[in-house]
Amino acid sequence: MSRKGTSSFIIQRASAVLLIPLAIWLLINIVAHIGADYASARAWLEAPFNGLLLGAFLIIGAWHMRIGMMEIIADYIYSSLKGALLFINWLVALGVIAAVAWSIYHISFAG
Amino acid sequence: MAEGATSERPLSPHLQIWRFTVTMAASITHRGTGAVIYGGSLLLAVWLYALTFSPSLFEVVSGFVNSPIGFIIIAGYVWALSFHLMNGLRHLYWDSGRGLAPKTAAMTAWLVYTASILLTVFILWSGYAARGAA
Repeated sequence: MSRKGTSSFIIQRASAVLLIPLAIWLLINIVAHIGADYASARAWLEAPFNGLLLGAFLIIGAWHMRIGMMEIIADYIYSSLKGALLFINWLVALGVIAAVAWSIYHISFAG
Repeated sequence: MAEGATSERPLSPHLQIWRFTVTMAASITHRGTGAVIYGGSLLLAVWLYALTFSPSLFEVVSGFVNSPIGFIIIAGYVWALSFHLMNGLRHLYWDSGRGLAPKTAAMTAWLVYTASILLTVFILWSGYAARGAA
């Protein structure tokens, strides 16, 4: 992760700015959908923009989370575990992005 | 560096010699809430995947979310996201070179704690009230 400091700094802030409206939107929708059953949750997700906004929150958030967790690992882990944890951190971010993108493609475009 | 001089020093970030301040607490909480959101968002991604591809998996996830442990997780996620969002605004304001005076930073830290707790109570109250009415 060396020599990526400046780009990580910029991406972390750019993603933060994008996540502000998305997080507000998510908090409002958590209010409206706590404990929703399958049919009503599915109807909500299939409505225009809901899937895209949830997908955008999770995908942009995955990248924001990866950088944040990378900083935490870099600050506290000095052992040989560090490389493995950074690798797992990448896998988690890429896994979330793949699963979310596939879900949103399926529900918003292919479904 | 003289030999032996490095052995007894406290490791950075010197937690054992710092005086407690609200700005330091907010900084630690920003990291902690970030880690909580990391975990909660994984659960949200599983919820989305199950909702898209597997009604039977959705029942499992939904049952977990609607349990008492699920309530604690939702409450924790809502507060963590509220705090991280508001404190993130504080960070972006700092990045513009403003709001860094100690008194201002302490005041905004208290503001973020107070507002995030109020927002969380409001969200959970209105969410569960609407659910009860449905």
